[in-house]
Amino acid sequence: MNNNDPSSHHFLRWFDPRHKSIGTIAFIINRFSALGLTVYLILHLVVLSKLASGGQAYDEFLILAKSPVIKIGEMFVIAGGIIHGANGVRIALNSFGFLVKIQKELFIGLMILSLAIIFYFGVHMFSGAQN
Amino acid sequence: MVWTIELCIARQKAGSERHYQTYQIEIDPDEYVLDAVEKAWAFYDRSLTFRHACHHSTCGACGMLVNGVEKLTCITPIRSVVQDKGRLLIEPLRNFPILSDLVVDTSSMFNNLNKVSFNQVASLPAACLPYESEQPEHAHPEYERLVDCIECGMCISACPISLTSSDYIGPAVLAAAQHESIQSLSPRILEVVDNKNGVWRCHSAYECSAVCPSGVEPGWRIMKMRQAVIAHRIKSFFSSD
Amino acid sequence: MPTLPHAIIIGAGFTGCALAHDLALRGFQVSVLERGEIASGTSGRTHGLLHSGARYCVNDLEAAIECIEENKILRKIASQCIEYNGGLFIGLNDADLEYLPKFLAGAETCQISIEQISPEKALILEPNLNPALLAAVMVPDGVFDPLRLALAFAASAAENGVRFFPHHEVQEMVFDGGGNIGGVTALNKHTGNLYEFRGDITINATGAWAGILASLAGVDVPIIPTPGVMVAYDKRLVNRVINRLAEPGDGDILLPQRRMVVIGTTSFEVEDPDYIPLDKNQINQMYACACQLVPGIAYALQRGAYVSARPLIKTKMVGRSLSRTFKCYDHKESENIEGFVTITGGKATTCRIMAEKTADLVCSKL
Repeated sequence: MNNNDPSSHHFLRWFDPRHKSIGTIAFIINRFSALGLTVYLILHLVVLSKLASGGQAYDEFLILAKSPVIKIGEMFVIAGGIIHGANGVRIALNSFGFLVKIQKELFIGLMILSLAIIFYFGVHMFSGAQN
Repeated sequence: MVWTIELCIARQKAGSERHYQTYQIEIDPDEYVLDAVEKAWAFYDRSLTFRHACHHSTCGACGMLVNGVEKLTCITPIRSVVQDKGRLLIEPLRNFPILSDLVVDTSSMFNNLNKVSFNQVASLPAACLPYESEQPEHAHPEYERLVDCIECGMCISACPISLTSSDYIGPAVLAAAQHESIQSLSPRILEVVDNKNGVWRCHSAYECSAVCPSGVEPGWRIMKMRQAVIAHRIKSFFSSD
Repeated sequence: MPTLPHAIIIGAGFTGCALAHDLALRGFQVSVLERGEIASGTSGRTHGLLHSGARYCVNDLEAAIECIEENKILRKIASQCIEYNGGLFIGLNDADLEYLPKFLAGAETCQISIEQISPEKALILEPNLNPALLAAVMVPDGVFDPLRLALAFAASAAENGVRFFPHHEVQEMVFDGGGNIGGVTALNKHTGNLYEFRGDITINATGAWAGILASLAGVDVPIIPTPGVMVAYDKRLVNRVINRLAEPGDGDILLPQRRMVVIGTTSFEVEDPDYIPLDKNQINQMYACACQLVPGIAYALQRGAYVSARPLIKTKMVGRSLSRTFKCYDHKESENIEGFVTITGGKATTCRIMAEKTADLVCSKL
């Protein structure tokens, strides 16, 4: 804490929500969801690259992909995508000068909407699994 | 009424590490945090340095972190931030170099404010937020007043981007640029704001607006500035044909 | 080429900053030492009224004339820190009406351009005024931002080579062999190091602290720190300065500033101006006074309250009737100490002329 000057080394403090307003929560959520989606993108490319080593390997992977652990992982990907997207809609609207005065309400509204959509997806995915 | 509070102040002399010093202060809870700091200086420790001037929120000198939150200490009543026999933590603003104790070097902000020719006096409607200037009490262009921004630097202290980049020009300066550009977007202001360290660097945490003691709404102004820059780009794209 | 004379100014309030600017223009090398931040003493905590002089035009013509002249100059050279919307003196009772002719005559003597308007017109201009007002006079009052006025002088001075040393507290006077003052030692509070500053002339511009500082040189300067309480409310209910049309008294000026109005002030004496506690009774008194001028204050919230110690020069009279004009002491004349001058008294509106007169004295000495 001694170094008070701006520095990129301080980026971990981004994720400290103490004493901060809801805007920082949005900021943190956006960073986490973006990191999650980036990790997923890398995994996705790794999996796709298995195609190069033949159909057999890929089929084996598809069986693995039906396991519940992976499904929960996918659920996270969907949640991350929706939340990050909704947050992006807020920032895009604000950046064009729209709804800035109600940015807090906009964020809360979009997050509720996101949760509803995630819930909808979740119900469909897991009930689909029983079939 | 007199309360006893533990005033814990961050101390740091040039070149040394920060440490915390605690003072037992007896004070009326209706007095302000700045009064408590001044009392610690007057009666306990004359080596304490802090910045203050007007004591009624017109000058912007006394911004500090109070229990971790940016506060203009001259208008923050003691009872709003601590209880009797409680502990009150006072630290210098973030994201500025510390000169000593609670005094930070805000010259980077003032140099940048100069770049946008920020003027402290404006006509009454121009001094208000644009969405207020329609209201009758603000609508008299024949009057002038000092604008809302008191250049306290608290928005820069609270901004997560100013935390990690000294290149980012910061909410105070972008808000001032927006204020100066309401009439016309001059090439000089465009040069300052329309680049990677200007208006596009903001990541919409809106902490600037949350901590501003003066109702400047830097977050709102940054977004309006973006809108104006986009409009300007579209316009110049079509007019250059 | 002869070296430039070096002046050391102690105190970076209005007087110190304006004096630094003036001396720099006259070719001095100047260092300004300030124990706190620029304008962190009385200057920063002034009410912020750019006097038209009308307040003093009945009882203190000298102060009134000084004010109106300086008012015009400051509006020209420091417009970037002044809200200039004029002011109103309002009469609320018969005693105020009796004061009116004296006031009008005094303003004319002092050449303050005023205009008496009807109470109806005053209410059109300022709808939040007490509707029971009986008389109204427009005057050329203004409002300034205290820190920015000091910084304006300081910035011009710095541009001309003046060096400012904030957070440098003077510890001792440096005497040369002959009992004269050749500089000071000062503690840099950022580092804790002690420095010696040598100069051809040392100027005590510490205002309400002038007596305390002068005692370091073994000199007596008769200053009484005379604080007053001011209270800020969170609604800008008027655009003009509202004065009570009466002899100067407590709580008779309400001025707008940014989004606030600020009422002031009171007057009492203290020994030590370093820490003056806020007196709740005086805050309540200010509230009552403000409500008299502008009843809408009752719907506003208190935003701040503060107290600031005027440097009043001790004379045989007490309280408010003390002369508001400043005094400049050449300690060669009074105590036969060369190299030391004290400037004190005065008010923010007259800081420039105080600096000019002090610079004249300094030049005549060197």
